[in-house]
Amino acid sequence: MPDSVIIRARGVTKRFGDFVALQGLDLEVRAGECVGLLGPNGAGKSTFIGCLYGVVLRSGGELSVFGRDPAKAPRLIKERLGVVPQENALDDGLTVMENMRLYARFEGLGKKPAEGRIRGLLEMLSLDHKSDVVIRALSGGMKRRLAFARALLADPELLILDEPTTGLDPTVRHVLWEKVLSLRHAGKTILVTTHYMHEAEILCDRIVILNRGVVVGVGGPRELIERETPGFVGIFAPEDEAVLRSHLRDGWEVFFQGRRCCVRAPRFEDLIALQEGSGCQALQLRPSNLEDVYLKLTGRELADDE
Amino acid sequence: MNNLLLSLRLAWNVVVRNWVVYRKDLLANISPTLADPALMLTALGVGLSPFIGQIHGLSYAQYLAPGMIATTALFTAFFESSYGFYVRMTFENVFKAMLTTPIGVREILVGEFLWTFLRAGLMGGLVGLVLAVLGLLPNPWAVLLFPFIAGTLAVPCGAIGLLAAVWVRNINQFQTVYSFLIAPIYFLSGVFFPLTDRPVLHLLVQASPFYHGVRLLQMAAWGRWDGMAAAWHLGILALFTAGLWMWSDRWIHRKLTT
Ligand SMILES: Nc1ncnc2c1ncn2[C@@H]1O[C@H](COP(=O)(O)OP(=O)(O)OP(=O)(O)O)[C@@H](O)[C@H]1O
Ligand SMILES: [Mg+2]
Repeated sequence: MPDSVIIRARGVTKRFGDFVALQGLDLEVRAGECVGLLGPNGAGKSTFIGCLYGVVLRSGGELSVFGRDPAKAPRLIKERLGVVPQENALDDGLTVMENMRLYARFEGLGKKPAEGRIRGLLEMLSLDHKSDVVIRALSGGMKRRLAFARALLADPELLILDEPTTGLDPTVRHVLWEKVLSLRHAGKTILVTTHYMHEAEILCDRIVILNRGVVVGVGGPRELIERETPGFVGIFAPEDEAVLRSHLRDGWEVFFQGRRCCVRAPRFEDLIALQEGSGCQALQLRPSNLEDVYLKLTGRELADDE
Repeated sequence: MNNLLLSLRLAWNVVVRNWVVYRKDLLANISPTLADPALMLTALGVGLSPFIGQIHGLSYAQYLAPGMIATTALFTAFFESSYGFYVRMTFENVFKAMLTTPIGVREILVGEFLWTFLRAGLMGGLVGLVLAVLGLLPNPWAVLLFPFIAGTLAVPCGAIGLLAAVWVRNINQFQTVYSFLIAPIYFLSGVFFPLTDRPVLHLLVQASPFYHGVRLLQMAAWGRWDGMAAAWHLGILALFTAGLWMWSDRWIHRKLTT
């Protein structure tokens, strides 16, 4: 059913002068899905998001949101989506309440329904006591929350969140996660970028990993781990590298994450055996996680035997 | 058609946003635009009048009166669109925020033009009323026309401010634009002295929208309406508006999207 694809990108490119920020990006987001867009700083996540609502004009490729081209019909798309931009983009001259009321108006909400919705959202994000404060006098995390509240005003079908939890304290972060999950259960489509792998694992059905403007990995969080970095990881001191290598078996891998020397093996028992056999004591033994996948696919994992 | 209405409604929201911020400091915002022409009238009109005698059968205060409306419109339009627009764009993130809603770049531009028209129309109208009360209008009925003329004159002047806001590299450069463009336009467009005997200057000022607005206001205030001349000035103002509109449309798109 072609209708169920909300975002479809085919070979999307974006150049800033000589610099290529997106080089042929392919991506699909289906209705009701929560997709996480991961990637290092400068990978092109925000650039792609800009393309989706028409503030960044792509240089090439095909892109459709709700079956329309955002470069040609941004309004029809924006009527159905809510955005939390990375840099907030709040109207700093207004108070919290003025901002919410005005934006409810921009979204075409009636006065009455808007009031109830605004109160609900401000309460949910514990901003109700700041209603009359000018936005430039809010703390960073409060601005972030307001940006989130504002994106939800019109109850959009598609929610685009560019690092929504940056700068939030753990309590608020959990409130926000809960809200995102409940929206997901209500059938909304969500595209979220984040640098917190844990967050991506909690929220997303599917992960898209971006590196230098191209997709380098797609799949469910578990699926990606199973496919790219199955098994368990033992983390050792860097001095142990040589000894560990001499005890390596088929299907095991040595790599570095920062200064840590890591060994990946299919089973937990393998790592126990490795510890005993080599005499090296692991600092930590753990199952593979999304961060391993991320580091591997974006080339930040310094493997030297590949 | 439906699309056009929706687009206009969205553009109207830009006006509403500006009004919400503007009314917070209503007195501070309004007083300079009213105080400046009042001071000018007192100093030049009352102070100089006795030395000058009559110009075209008018007292100098009467001669000066319509120019005060034009001045109010010009400064309202220019400062609101240059500094005002720049601050909204650069420091307050207003447009970035708006662009996440159904409002588009074109609606922002239409909204800013509308806002200029309304503000200048309102302020020009108010100044006109004061002039009428002071008895400086040979044709008091002109007060009904002032808001419209002031608004019409303000839009192209505002567009110049807007283009300046897009071109300047920092906020201090507006001073340069003011000194080399706005101030000469202001002083030399027939507000303070008639241009009838100065053919060169008369020719030069045709190239400024401000002059045509000044002439329309003078004809209305003095009750010396000349249909042909009025049509000419209105036509030129319309041309300026259309040209500057297309120009700023291109630049604003370039500035607000990447
Ligand atoms: N307006 C611009 N002009 C020139 N280069 C730009 C512009 N916007 C983005 N870039 C470049 O494009 C690349 C992608 O930037 P983008 O903001 O999309 O990265 P990102 O994946 O969102 O990174 P982050 O995780 O830091 O938010 C970067 O190298 C950036 O410098
Ligand atoms: Mg980003």
